[in-house]
Amino acid sequence: MENMSLPTDFGPDSGGRIKGMCIVKPIVYGNVARYFGKKREEDGHTHQWTVYVKPYYNEDMSAYVKKVHFKLHESYSNPNRIVVKPPYEISETGWGEFEVVIKIHFSDSNERPVTMYHILKLFHTGGTNDIGVEQGKGLVSESYDEIVFQDPTQLMHHLLTNSKPLAMSSWEHNTNFEEKKKKTLKAIIDAKQKVRSEIIMLKNRLKLARETISQFKEEIAKTQENQYVI
Amino acid sequence: MADVRDIMELEQPATPEITRESIIGSDKLKKRTFTTTKVSRRPEGMHREVFALLYNDNKDAPALFPSDTSNGYKQTKIKLGMRKPRKWEWIPFTNPARTDGAVFYHWRRPSDGPKEYPFAKFNKKIEVPTYTDAIYQQHLQSEDWTKEETDHLMDLAQRFDLRFIIMSDRYDTEKFSKRSVEDLKDRYHKVCGTLAKISGEKKVYHYDADHERRRKEQLKRLYDRTPEQIEEEQSLLNELKKIEARKKERERKTQDLQKLISQADNQGDSLRKSDKKLPKKKLANPARPSRVDTSHILQAVETAGIKFPDYKNSGVSLRSQRMKLPANVGQKKSKGIEQMLQEMELELNPTPTEEICLNFNELRSDMVLHMELKAALATCEFELQSLRHQYEALNPGKSLAIPPQLLSSTTEQDGTKLIGNAEIIDVVGSPGTPSGSGT
Repeated sequence: MENMSLPTDFGPDSGGRIKGMCIVKPIVYGNVARYFGKKREEDGHTHQWTVYVKPYYNEDMSAYVKKVHFKLHESYSNPNRIVVKPPYEISETGWGEFEVVIKIHFSDSNERPVTMYHILKLFHTGGTNDIGVEQGKGLVSESYDEIVFQDPTQLMHHLLTNSKPLAMSSWEHNTNFEEKKKKTLKAIIDAKQKVRSEIIMLKNRLKLARETISQFKEEIAKTQENQYVI
Repeated sequence: MADVRDIMELEQPATPEITRESIIGSDKLKKRTFTTTKVSRRPEGMHREVFALLYNDNKDAPALFPSDTSNGYKQTKIKLGMRKPRKWEWIPFTNPARTDGAVFYHWRRPSDGPKEYPFAKFNKKIEVPTYTDAIYQQHLQSEDWTKEETDHLMDLAQRFDLRFIIMSDRYDTEKFSKRSVEDLKDRYHKVCGTLAKISGEKKVYHYDADHERRRKEQLKRLYDRTPEQIEEEQSLLNELKKIEARKKERERKTQDLQKLISQADNQGDSLRKSDKKLPKKKLANPARPSRVDTSHILQAVETAGIKFPDYKNSGVSLRSQRMKLPANVGQKKSKGIEQMLQEMELELNPTPTEEICLNFNELRSDMVLHMELKAALATCEFELQSLRHQYEALNPGKSLAIPPQLLSSTTEQDGTKLIGNAEIIDVVGSPGTPSGSGT
């Protein structure tokens, strides 16, 4: 029914954008890694890892994602890996951490691809903000981000609003982002209030300082006049 | 093949290739297989990288001095084939280009069979057009050329295959007057052209004798230059280069001057403004005019913060992109923000939801404002101190009281530590406590 009402000719340049429309697609990207337990003799590899991009909510991203391009370290054979359907992930073995460039291309080529950078994590490091959780799966380091489609093209709008769920089972992530979002927001708002109150204080002090400066200058001027008289 | 296999570390084939050694029988082969089986193991505790430096892929011990034992990159000797060499024979041949039927000899393989002389294909004869008397009378008459002379020219052209230089050399100068190469070419091509036209050909070659003469004259002159003339030319060229360089420099200088003038104009405006202020100040404190004018700092501070770009453009973007600091935020500021975030135990890159982005950007903008205020306050404080010292110098035994809130900028009144303090350089050596001092 819905299809009937929509224009059918989604040509390459039917790309009239729907002004004022904004669609947000949250995603999670990152990697899991598992230690072999020892160094593998043949190549010195120590970990098996999987780098991935997945939707935050349960949906089939292939409706609007043409392909996902993972650029691995150049020491891997064929470092440019392209995945065209879910799951958007690459599994490999290795011994080192490096930056993976993840580029998402969309079904409508009028929408430019977006690029994310993920530092592949293999080792637990204290102090850093990575989400290294031991859950029997080894190490997890993943980030949340949101793809914002501002004024999408008609074709893209159609694809974005008509995606189907991907899995029948419940859709969960290794990291509890909802809790993290709440905590982060609260911390930021608290910090903002603190800084604001300090700003007010600083402004008051500055005002006082300026007044005192002009007062001092007057005093000095007075004494100088007196000296001239003498 | 054996070398390639060695390099690729492939296994030796079960049946070794037929080589000289395998036929003649040599112990070299055995020796080689023995050396490859010797593998040096990495000692305990040695790092893999270090080991890799010391030992190559073959796990051979590193060469301490040049060795010449293996085949290495050396060219193997010519493989003596098992076949018999083919025979060469001293065989007579004739060149069809020759009319005298002379017989010469050359070496040839009898297996190639009797063939025509291979260079015979280069025996090309040039077709020089011919004409009858009638045609000459009708079409080829010329003021400069008699029929006799034209005949002579065509004969020479035939004999020397249009090699005009030779033709002009062999020209019968006793019978006819001396003619230049261009003259010969001109006449020859004219004759050819006319004949071609008569026979109905449309494409006719024209020979521009004048152009050719001028060209040769030019080359001749160029060649005939004396060394002095060449030198003079060179020096003239150099002079020209110098002149052009100077011209460029002059233009550059005038441009610079223009810039300076326009800058001076702008400065002049601002100078005039400050001129109005200066006399007042001089009256106020002629002894030591305050170097820092705090008023303009304060104005700047009120508007400080970060201007994040609006993301209203159509298209796809990542939310996290909106948290990027704009490029005009300097390194010092961004470092300061980072430090403040760390001290407040906040993430440098928080989870980017719309709300968090908004608040996080506002927070960092406030942080910049905070830092600016801090810096301005420090400047004011410094000025206060120096003013007080000035006053003390004028009025020995007396002092001015700086309000306690303005002192000790490192600690807040409520005890919280302020972050990102600009250090106050105490140039004058201020007294430790302002206690008991009154005006």
